[in-house]
Amino acid sequence: MPSSYSLVIASSQGQKRREIRLELAEDAWHGRFQAMGSPCELVCEAKKRHEALELTELVAGEAWRIEDKFSRYRAGNVVHRINTAGGRAVEVDDETADLLDFAVTLYNLSEHRFDITSGVLRRAWHFDGGDRVPSENIVSDVLRLVGWHRADWRRPFLQMPSGMEIDLGGIGKEYAVDRCAGLLREQGSSACLVNFGGDLAVSRAPEGRRSWKVAVEGDAEGEPAHLIDLKQGALATSGDARRYLLKDGIRYSHILDPMTGWPVPDAPRSITIAADTCVEAGMMSTLAMLKGAQAEPFLRAQDVVFWCRR
Amino acid sequence: MKRTVGVGAMTILLCTGCSSMGVEPWERDVLAKQEMQLTTDEIEAATDDHIYFSKEASSGGRGFGGGGCGCN
Amino acid sequence: MSQKETHSISVALAAATCTLLGSGISATVDAQEEPAWDFNTSLLYYGEDGDRVKDFSVSAIARRMFIDDRYLTLGLTIDGLTGATPSGAIRQDVAQTFTRPSGNAAYSVAAGVLPLDDTFKDTRLALTAGWQQPVGDTSQVSVGASASKEYDYLHLGVNAKFARDFNQRNTTVSAGIALSMDSLDPVGGAPAPFSPMLDVGDTSNRLGDQDKDVLDIVLGVSQVISRDLVVQANYSYSKSDGYLTDPYKVLSLVDGTSGDTLLRSIAPGVDGPSHQFLFESRPGERTKHSIFGQAKYYMNGKVLDASYRYMSDDWEIDSHTVDLRYRIPFGANRYLEPHLRFYTQTDAEFYRLSIPDSLPLPGHASADYRLGNFDAITAGLKYGWRTRNDNEMSVRIEGYRQTGSVPADQLIGNQVSRDNFPDLNAIIVQFGYRF
Repeated sequence: MPSSYSLVIASSQGQKRREIRLELAEDAWHGRFQAMGSPCELVCEAKKRHEALELTELVAGEAWRIEDKFSRYRAGNVVHRINTAGGRAVEVDDETADLLDFAVTLYNLSEHRFDITSGVLRRAWHFDGGDRVPSENIVSDVLRLVGWHRADWRRPFLQMPSGMEIDLGGIGKEYAVDRCAGLLREQGSSACLVNFGGDLAVSRAPEGRRSWKVAVEGDAEGEPAHLIDLKQGALATSGDARRYLLKDGIRYSHILDPMTGWPVPDAPRSITIAADTCVEAGMMSTLAMLKGAQAEPFLRAQDVVFWCRR
Repeated sequence: MKRTVGVGAMTILLCTGCSSMGVEPWERDVLAKQEMQLTTDEIEAATDDHIYFSKEASSGGRGFGGGGCGCN
Repeated sequence: MSQKETHSISVALAAATCTLLGSGISATVDAQEEPAWDFNTSLLYYGEDGDRVKDFSVSAIARRMFIDDRYLTLGLTIDGLTGATPSGAIRQDVAQTFTRPSGNAAYSVAAGVLPLDDTFKDTRLALTAGWQQPVGDTSQVSVGASASKEYDYLHLGVNAKFARDFNQRNTTVSAGIALSMDSLDPVGGAPAPFSPMLDVGDTSNRLGDQDKDVLDIVLGVSQVISRDLVVQANYSYSKSDGYLTDPYKVLSLVDGTSGDTLLRSIAPGVDGPSHQFLFESRPGERTKHSIFGQAKYYMNGKVLDASYRYMSDDWEIDSHTVDLRYRIPFGANRYLEPHLRFYTQTDAEFYRLSIPDSLPLPGHASADYRLGNFDAITAGLKYGWRTRNDNEMSVRIEGYRQTGSVPADQLIGNQVSRDNFPDLNAIIVQFGYRF
């Protein structure tokens, strides 16, 4: 019988309770917690329970730190300050600056389709599986607040017109996964797999078995599309399993084209990428999704390991 | 006959009583190897079962009695 | 976008990621999709010496894995059998003639030669299907069905097994049950027990189709003793009901003093047996008990597999089987595995070399050497290797030898000096391929 162990610790905010659950299943420890809106898990081959707990606390701590720092919803953090600056310049720290530099690179690599200022489009689009597709007027209204070219980024100062916002949700989770994998490697600890809601990375190849086994979900019924043996590296999945709109037989994926304000036409239902790091895997799958109908040829040209579902 | 049943039952009871024996989950690396499975090769085991069922008066033991053919 | 331009995206992305993440060195990705299907195939040749049985067989087992450790297994075997098998009649110093089981023709056996019936050219097709899945956290259930068809025999069966883990999966207890419903339609019809072998064309002693039902129950426990040692013990119970006789086997009716087979008079122009033979008769029921124990021991890369089985039944047959395999790896990709098996059994209560006419007919009788008193030894060697595309191939060659004897109190007159028990020598060659 798997033994269950619950530890409740207070977050840095003081009031909020964040829980870690530790479970021994098969031949590895599973440390579970909630972060960045996803169920997160650390699978590790620790010999002792206390080592598994320490590693899970390490990973959860880093995940919550990143969530608290870059979440849109937390008043007072750097993103909130940027989004409520009302046209004034905001000075950011090194970590935030590194992420913004990275976002710029992606903005250029994607021919301006990956744009961290496109988050405001959520005011027009609500991807809840229903059929409420917004009108052209609403979309073009919001579109006036989208466009990195309108922002002025000179490290370490970011200035944007009033009403514009940045949203690091497209990078945040993968970044957290890689940060955690890096911390685990630095510790020289037992082999671990960091899995934040399907975006995952390996700290070290496992010893107790040939490779980590990852099941990539297929359609809603829970039958996996693919069973993958992951020995090293990372996996990330972009998909619209729960976030889409369906109207008049047309499926609108949640991948929005910031140039038009509308969903990218003919985007695949799901793309899973295997790469050296979770950030690369995640960004590659996002870039491919943005290519719509051209996703597969694009990925083949990149010579990257991928699974694509339409 | 009764003796066979008795020995069999005792062996099973003896083993279920061995709750302190065994390995921790992370020590199962050797046991997970293909060559350490109780039946390493299914087809080879089925082939042997079938041959010996056809040529001898005993069958099974490891699994079901086999048979299901006109060979004996 | 040209190939070169698009490929540079992944390069640029890798560089940008490196800048972002700093020095957290990660290894190159190694990800492979696990194939949904697993196949295990084999080609088998079994050959007894002389004119005796030869068998070619092709087998395949396909397993498909679904998420959460659920499996579907499908199996297929095709067998082609030729060659002759001892009919149960004893050898004589004169030639003998027999009617074929079909009743349509006769065959002769020279003086001094063990009578073999070579009627068996048969093809068999066998299919199995099984489903296995976990139940809760600690248990597993599997169900299956099997069917096989050959010219004169149809088998249908179902089976189910339940297993439960204890002590962090170190102990597993299992219980299984299998039911077989078989029917026989022997060539020419099943002969009435103890009826005489008749002339060609005479089928007056024939019965219709016959049925045979078998119930098997297996109770087992397996236990991990240490990191390198796992053991298993099973108790099996088997109950057969119905037509358990071999419809093609006979016994020679012999003179109570000389032990020679009685002659038979045949009408002129008629083909038929030259001597008197009776078709065998076995009980309509058989209950078997077995206990089986196995240990697998890992010794620094080599694996020893040792097992023992004791079987006892209400036909008064007792048997012991000892099976030893020792796998020796060479490097990461090859292994040799010598194999030794010892087997011994005592004869069935109704096993007879022949029926003397001076005694009343026994309740049941069979001269089938497979119910007799014999020892057998198997010695073989298996060689296995991993192919370039990471699949497994293997080949094994084995020799099987049976040597038996008839209980001295059954030998009469001239039989004492003859070589009565048909020894068996067979070679087994099997190729395997798993992918």
